[in-house]
Amino acid sequence: MGNFFEFVIEHLVQFLQFTAFANLTVGHIIMICIGLAFIYLAIAKEFEPMLLIPIGFGILVGNVAFAPGYQIGVYESGSVLNYLYFGVLQGIYPPLIFLGIGAMTDFSALISNPKLILIGAAAQLGIFGAYCLALAFGFSPTEAGAIGIIGGADGPTAIFLSSKLAPDLMGAIAIAAYSYMALVPVIQPPVMKLLTTPKERLIRMKPPRTVSKTEKVIFAIAGMLLTTFVVPSGLPLLGMLFFGNLLKESGVTKRLADTAKGPMIDIVTILIGLTVGASTQATTFLTFKSIGIFALGAASFVVATFGGVMFVKIINLFLKEGNKMNPLIGNAGVSAVPDSARVSQVVGLEYDKTNHLLMHAMGPNVAGVIGSAVAAGILLSFLA
Amino acid sequence: MRNRAKKIITGIVSVALVVAFNYTVKSQNAVTLRLNEILVNNNSNAVDDFGQHSAWIEIFNSSYNTVNIGGCYLTDDLNDPTKYWIPTGDPITKIPSRNYIVFWADNHPTRGIFHLNFNLIEGKTLAIFDANGKTLIDKIEIPAGQKPDITYGRPSNDSEDWVFLEKSTPGANNDYTKKKSAGESFVEFDPYGIGMTMIAMFVVFSALAILFVIYKNMGRFFIRHANSSKKSASSEQKPSEAHSEVEMSGEVNAAIAMTIHLYLSEMHDYENTVLTIQKVSRNYSPWSSKIYTLRKTPNKI
Repeated sequence: MGNFFEFVIEHLVQFLQFTAFANLTVGHIIMICIGLAFIYLAIAKEFEPMLLIPIGFGILVGNVAFAPGYQIGVYESGSVLNYLYFGVLQGIYPPLIFLGIGAMTDFSALISNPKLILIGAAAQLGIFGAYCLALAFGFSPTEAGAIGIIGGADGPTAIFLSSKLAPDLMGAIAIAAYSYMALVPVIQPPVMKLLTTPKERLIRMKPPRTVSKTEKVIFAIAGMLLTTFVVPSGLPLLGMLFFGNLLKESGVTKRLADTAKGPMIDIVTILIGLTVGASTQATTFLTFKSIGIFALGAASFVVATFGGVMFVKIINLFLKEGNKMNPLIGNAGVSAVPDSARVSQVVGLEYDKTNHLLMHAMGPNVAGVIGSAVAAGILLSFLA
Repeated sequence: MRNRAKKIITGIVSVALVVAFNYTVKSQNAVTLRLNEILVNNNSNAVDDFGQHSAWIEIFNSSYNTVNIGGCYLTDDLNDPTKYWIPTGDPITKIPSRNYIVFWADNHPTRGIFHLNFNLIEGKTLAIFDANGKTLIDKIEIPAGQKPDITYGRPSNDSEDWVFLEKSTPGANNDYTKKKSAGESFVEFDPYGIGMTMIAMFVVFSALAILFVIYKNMGRFFIRHANSSKKSASSEQKPSEAHSEVEMSGEVNAAIAMTIHLYLSEMHDYENTVLTIQKVSRNYSPWSSKIYTLRKTPNKI
């Protein structure tokens, strides 16, 4: 009988050691609080709920403090979470998301006013600004490249590039990228207002012309060929982006386009959000590097906004009156679609209730998607 | 005329497909294998699984996918290309991407599939042939002057030269020197990232500027085309039937689309879904009167 009780007590103690309470650290508590904050922001403030809910919940999942060795955690080979995380590690999910983005993006604004494409290029300054800063802070070149891509304001691209250049930092980079994308309405307006004059904010742009189906189809094909011929390492992202767009614009593959922009992107978003969130286990995530990444991420968004707005101002010097662009659409060059375009619209309306900039801002916004994928390709070619 | 054009296009597409297919097949199968390193006089170098010091041959899979060497031939005589057939159906003959496999040239083929039926002899030509026994994949003439335990091989994976190597590396990269990563090398020249910023921004701008130029011109072409087709359509119409067609801008289209959307899906304002029942101060109401809620008593006749 005594042996039996010893046996029971021994196993009860063992069981208690396996509970999360026994393994909990301050780091886990901090991360759980961050996860809860994400969920709060998503539900109460409606900041990017599609992203912040899966990521926030993923953070909770990743920070249940389990005893290692039972194939539970995202970093334990053979665990279910590890299998799901494979898609992130190997860069499978981001191109699939780009396929969906392509299938839901209308490039009409861009095609009707091709000047806007160049704003998407200028706003990539944020990527390289953050790269320089990261080098100055002592990050290695590959880490600096991975951190820099946060400035592209493109979650899938950030995950794709960091999985190739600095897999150890991927969790922090992805979380920073998605967090700042959600915070675009907070970060960008002050910079936009600081850099523009009241007169510039009132500039009215010409309405975009109607774009034919043929033009849209050619854009999808030519866009893919031209950009990937220049930067072949951007092929996984750019190829899928334009393929998705061709599915949409061809008009004969509606079912495929519907799947790409509907169930498929939803499934991949769930998987990528949850696993990226779960990858932020306190034991690997809570480091000084992560704090540095967050600081650099914020700086990169500011520099990107600066690049876009200033580029429009410079271009305006060469444009005739009537053809000028409103610099408030410059911020949309970062590829946080459609949030940054929405910021242009909201800030524009503050100064003129009848000046709707959304349609114009969508041009640089989708160009930003292309630009950030090209920039990722360059970083990959130079640093990998 | 149309049929002829069709035939020409079909022909071109077929030829292109055949060429592309052949190229793809070649690039992804055994043709990417390369003889990489050999040791002729093995005195105290690597031992085989029988504990013997035998001559060995290292083969490198230079492609980025797994290649199965099974079915290929190894020989030391170009006139007898099928001298040693590497057995098929064995998983150990698969060479992962950018990886190596070692054969023992000990003239003991009964010891396993990695043991060849010939030795390495100076002056002979070592070669690997494809599964058809005809296509030469790679060859190397074994030069005279082979020293004991000194291997002869390519100084690096991508090298075309063969030299005597300082260190033998069976089953591993011949270039064992520490190398800087691309990033580290880049930062040596550009420690602050300014160069990277300038180059990368130039490339991003170039890529998007190409799109800009093409689409600017294409847009002009499409506008001109639309105008000319409109003109020709109106000139075909009789003057009495002609009517002025106003081209609608994107904004007008968007406004119409938004109106239809609102009409179809947002006809109702947002309604509060909480139902509150407040007690009214007036106690009597026809709605609460029992008299009105009861059925009328049937009249007796």
